Amino acid sequence: MTSSRIIQHPILNFERGKKKVLYFEDKPVEVYENESVLAALYANGVRIFSRSRVLKRPRGAFCLIGKCSSCLMEADRVPNTRICITLTKDLREVRYQESSASPPKTSFFIAKKPEEIPTDILVIGGGPAGLYAAMYASKYGANVVLVDENPTIGGQLVKQTHKFFGSKDLYSGIRGFEIAKKLAKILHKRKNIKILTNTSVFGLYSGKLAGAYHLRRKQLLKIKAKQITVATGASERFLVFENNDLPGVMGAGAAQTLMNVYGVKPGEKALMVGAGNVGLIVSYQLIQAGVKVVAIVEAMPRIGGYLVHAAKVRRLGVPIYTSHTIKSAHGKEKVEGATIIALDKEFREIPGTEKYLEVDLICLAVGLNPYSQLLSQAGCEMVYIPELGGLVPKRTRYQETTISGIYVAGDVSGIEEASTAMLEGGIAGISAALKIIGNNEKALNEREEMLEKLEKIRAGRFFERIRKGLRKVLIDERRGNSTY
Amino acid sequence: MKRRASVVVIGGGISGLSIAYNLAKLGLDDVVVVEKRYLGSGSTGKCGTGIRQQFTTKEHIMLMKESVKLWEKLSEELGRDVGYRQTGYLWLIRDEEELSVFKENVNIQNKYGVPSRIINVEEALEIVPYLNPEVFIAAAFCHKDGKASPFKTVNAYYEAGRRLGVEYYTYTEVRGMVVENGRIRKVITSRGDIETDKVVNVAGAGARKIGEMVGVNIPVENYRHHIVVTEPFQEFVKPMVIRGKLYFTQTERGGIIGGIDMPEKPDQPLRARLDFLEVFATNLVKVMPILKNVNILRQWAGYYVMTKDNHPILGEAEKLEGFYIAAGFSGHGFMMGPIVGKLIAELIMYGKPSVPIDALRLERFERGELIYERAVIG
Repeated sequence: MTSSRIIQHPILNFERGKKKVLYFEDKPVEVYENESVLAALYANGVRIFSRSRVLKRPRGAFCLIGKCSSCLMEADRVPNTRICITLTKDLREVRYQESSASPPKTSFFIAKKPEEIPTDILVIGGGPAGLYAAMYASKYGANVVLVDENPTIGGQLVKQTHKFFGSKDLYSGIRGFEIAKKLAKILHKRKNIKILTNTSVFGLYSGKLAGAYHLRRKQLLKIKAKQITVATGASERFLVFENNDLPGVMGAGAAQTLMNVYGVKPGEKALMVGAGNVGLIVSYQLIQAGVKVVAIVEAMPRIGGYLVHAAKVRRLGVPIYTSHTIKSAHGKEKVEGATIIALDKEFREIPGTEKYLEVDLICLAVGLNPYSQLLSQAGCEMVYIPELGGLVPKRTRYQETTISGIYVAGDVSGIEEASTAMLEGGIAGISAALKIIGNNEKALNEREEMLEKLEKIRAGRFFERIRKGLRKVLIDERRGNSTY
Repeated sequence: MKRRASVVVIGGGISGLSIAYNLAKLGLDDVVVVEKRYLGSGSTGKCGTGIRQQFTTKEHIMLMKESVKLWEKLSEELGRDVGYRQTGYLWLIRDEEELSVFKENVNIQNKYGVPSRIINVEEALEIVPYLNPEVFIAAAFCHKDGKASPFKTVNAYYEAGRRLGVEYYTYTEVRGMVVENGRIRKVITSRGDIETDKVVNVAGAGARKIGEMVGVNIPVENYRHHIVVTEPFQEFVKPMVIRGKLYFTQTERGGIIGGIDMPEKPDQPLRARLDFLEVFATNLVKVMPILKNVNILRQWAGYYVMTKDNHPILGEAEKLEGFYIAAGFSGHGFMMGPIVGKLIAELIMYGKPSVPIDALRLERFERGELIYERAVIG
């Protein structure tokens, strides 16, 4: 099996760690210890990781972040292991399991005893919003616990290779993954921030008690906070078309994870579905990784992303077909081609306009949904707002939800971008800290400055839909809210 | 929405749907079900799925014997699979004291024709391998007990009822009733009024409130209970397994589902508790050690609507003609759905159900005629 590892990348250096041997179906495979099992197997040509329960259809890599259940395998005898978020350094062997795992016959590990962690402010999610919330809450003296499911903090920033634009104080001119590194460095230095990675918050209980699970230590953590900021980001939307479950169909974010985090080529020839910012940027990143982007299709009559991103891919010869969509994927056991088709003004397929493209990778960049389940579960008042990407909480302009002491920031409160996520995070962080330290003029002023910056960014034409959406969810901070 | 109905069934859980279906089956037109949220959104959609005859009173045993007969043929009758499986109930007995109580229970059950029996540890391990033989000395097993899918059952009753002309109004809340000359005249809902002289109060946790609307005191209390489900596996726990207040079985999908009694005050909001997970996990692993590292997927809470004697309230209210009650199922309402539907429908249509339910009337509380059930699970 030829390796799809990226050896020379124009921007990224991959810290893969030491080489080791992983047994895949009892056969030794060469991997690196800092790779996820999925990335390692993918690099060795494996494309099928499981099969569907009834029809036994092949399942490939789809989300790469532990949320879709396509990659469940038996790892060191543990069934239903999400190999996309398990590093090879922790394992000896991995194998296919039956669609329904056989019952565990022995215990596999000794769980650590549960730990209680009291704190002032719990920040859930270590992306730009969460990092800023933690940074500003701790700046004003609050004790912060920052929790993230992934092995490193940085959220979507770690996968971004392009230089950000905007204002200098929000890191314009610096590449996303470098911003992540800078912020992580600042946070790691602060004595009043405790960072827990590989840790998933699974529930918010009465009295601001968060139930969390440390995935590597196998430990239940009971985090008792005075204030909570939820900055859990978003998850990728799926698209309905024939054979959309074939290995080779994956989210754009998943392709990014493979390429930019693990240095593994997701394919040779790609079709990108969606010309919003994510579609355009990931297309460019695919090209940087040595993948040929055969076409980008966009159902709307206009490109949705910033023109500067579109121009970059057009200059490299990638055609962007607006008013087009994907009709079906083709292939036996994996993607071998795709049929795209034109749409009329009512978004109906125009028969006769089908075009066959030879591709082995279909990336879906068709929008994001706020990952707001924790907020629903905690009892925050939620509203479905299409302009903001889906189900979002009502909130004051200081980012507080209808539950006193629960704040939101970033994509979970409405799909936007990194700069607004950072500012919302800062506002939420300061607001939460004020409740701990009492009135502080410096903090109040800094918060007002951030609100102004946020308003300025949102004044642009690009943000018209978002402004419309936000008007529907903004509540007055003077009205009372419930306790939880 | 209908302006007039022959019977308004208040509550769209298994009992309400079963009653409506049975009324239509007996030939009654203009039957209406009013449900304040969606069908099955109350205790039916949250329950542990178990169906048993292993009770300790004649009343419960007789009702469940008949209910099981209906469950056995329910998929066929309703024209849709309800997921019913007769995989039994296995009660693990911890010590000699419990053993003598269970021997007594089994005697009563056998007397009324329920084939439960006391078995030894080896036999229990044949039925459910992987049980820890050190935590029980014997077991009570009835192979005719079992489980079903609450969601499939709700759908099946709904569709069968619809084919017979039953109408369902969901997201419709009952706000009051008009009573004139000791009879019901109409039901007032959030979407309009329905004229009727017959109402069935089968509103689960809302039954007490419905009673208050017409001055009928229904002495039930809503207790929050917790339940959890794990990641799916191939089938290896067939029956419902019970030990003390712990119970668990496996769903169709393959997850281990179960619960355990937690100290709760009545009327708590239906929020989950983190300490429940710890208590449940500790106790479950004691009974089945191989489950030690299994992943939990989901936990939720639902109400047991409890009466003072753990028996449901069935029958027409003596002080209000046309006001029928089927409430207070005390944690075993799902399993009774089929028989309760049949009997309440017979009571309404013929004035007399085919199995006597006189002893379970509402008035037994004020007359001090309680019948105590000892075997409440979870």
